[in-house]
Amino acid sequence: MKKLRLKEINLSGGKMNKNILMFLTGLLIAIMLVANVSALGVTPARTTVDFEPGLKRSVVFSVINSERRDVDIVIAVQGELKNNILLQSAQSFSMTSAEESRQVAYDLSLPATMKPGLHTGEVVILQLPDEIGTSEAFIGAALAVVTQVYVYVPYPGKYAEASMNIINANAGEDVTFIIPVVSRGEFDLVSVKANIDIYNKVGEKIDSFNTNEISVPSSKRREIVHKWKSDVFPGIYRAVATLIYDGETIQLEKVFNIGNQELELQQIEVNDFSLGEIAKMEMLVENKWSEPIQGAFARTNIYNDRGELMADFKSPSYDIPALTKKVLVSYWDTAGVRTGTYNSKIFLKYADKSVQTDLQLKVEQNRIEIIGLGYVISEDSRGGSGNTLMIVLVIGIVVLILVNLLWFFLLRKRLKR
Amino acid sequence: MHDKHIIKIDLILVIVSVIGLIVLVGYASPLVIGPIDEYETQDTAILFEIEKADVILIDDNVEFTSPEEYVVKEGLEINLKPGEYYWKAVGVWGSEIRTLTINSEVDLRLRRLENSDAEKYGVFNAGNVKLNIDVYDGDELIDKLKLGVDEEIKVKGNKFVGGQDE
Repeated sequence: MKKLRLKEINLSGGKMNKNILMFLTGLLIAIMLVANVSALGVTPARTTVDFEPGLKRSVVFSVINSERRDVDIVIAVQGELKNNILLQSAQSFSMTSAEESRQVAYDLSLPATMKPGLHTGEVVILQLPDEIGTSEAFIGAALAVVTQVYVYVPYPGKYAEASMNIINANAGEDVTFIIPVVSRGEFDLVSVKANIDIYNKVGEKIDSFNTNEISVPSSKRREIVHKWKSDVFPGIYRAVATLIYDGETIQLEKVFNIGNQELELQQIEVNDFSLGEIAKMEMLVENKWSEPIQGAFARTNIYNDRGELMADFKSPSYDIPALTKKVLVSYWDTAGVRTGTYNSKIFLKYADKSVQTDLQLKVEQNRIEIIGLGYVISEDSRGGSGNTLMIVLVIGIVVLILVNLLWFFLLRKRLKR
Repeated sequence: MHDKHIIKIDLILVIVSVIGLIVLVGYASPLVIGPIDEYETQDTAILFEIEKADVILIDDNVEFTSPEEYVVKEGLEINLKPGEYYWKAVGVWGSEIRTLTINSEVDLRLRRLENSDAEKYGVFNAGNVKLNIDVYDGDELIDKLKLGVDEEIKVKGNKFVGGQDE
């Protein structure tokens, strides 16, 4: 805080001087950043091809000059398939700062036969380091990115590849088991199903069930989907699936949660605030999960009236015990911020989750008011627009039916008489 | 009333009823504005614009066997991994099914670290896939690293090669 005030005093000699100094500093930083950073991209990262004897295919990829600089590029081919990949253009070229990306193509030619399984090749795009490395800002390293080629050759007979995804649920609700199966063999898989055993935390089997049966054509991907009603206590469980396909088996295993591993932002308080200083934001967060959540933190993004990000800060990491509330503290430096209402997004991050809360911060000279916290999309509001449409639809159809009934069964007969 | 007139009224009523039904069905159908069908991008954050729908279903197969369900709200932006997706909006009825492709992208950024040895760099994954980074000193491979999306590692070397992880 003191530092900020000192800076203000030092620069108060003249507004013009301050502006010039800021411009020059910004320019210097920009030059340093440009010079100190090297960047290169390629898309797609991988091209996947199912093997066909004698296949010839042209594959296009884009080299991306991410930093928009003058760069020298060299392209090379490596890996098992290097003799099957032939570049259609020169192996080296230059890109100017005006050129954001350039399309390059290669021919992939496959032989009549290949061993079953995965065969890979790599097209390496190398950005050469600047040769005029005289200054401190010189990047003396070479940077390269790779676009891969994956060729899948079917196995003789029947062959399956599978994985298991589990969508967690609350106790008493349905847990969804999804088993994507890819047929990597020459022949279709006629009968694919799974038996799934559920184990609790101490390793006891608590349930076992079979999924539905599907078929998977050769080189295609299909999913087995099964919903399991979780009449068990909240906690961590383990699923062991045995995938059975045409007499063969694959074992799959995954840990999943029953109950919400959920943090909820309940309240934000900013006390003893003064505009221009550092605001201490105290966020009250509840752990609704029956296990502790470790390493949780809050990240706050604040946007100006043009929708541009003007502040991005995060709290330290906290461990929140099961079924308790904890205050997460973040600090926002409001130097240069004006009074007004700012859109804001707060992300609660924990495990691999990110829970977003949108709200507004009404910043005044001596207080920050939080607007919009606690808004929840309720079951009623979820179906709001659909219900209105349904009412209009039902009324319209009823009116049409009534008019038709009235005419055909009443008025028409009367008029005929 | 003359039979001819009655038949005319019959016809008019049937036609009006059919048109009315078509208008009602059209009125209640979800209006899908964006993204357009067969949309391709490298950006993993997709902005959806739809009207008269409550949820968006997104799946990697056209049968929607295991769809992700998102409640519709204004300016709904969904983060997806690279891949091919099928999506539709669902209100009173389901909308047309559209496809969406997020192309995988390797984007590697390198910055020389200040106040460190000349050969120490920050390597940042600015693409949308997890990367394997091979670190070389000259022609010698000295390290192999994995780098998640938006992650940075600080490492010594003078050549860095990044390709998609499994």
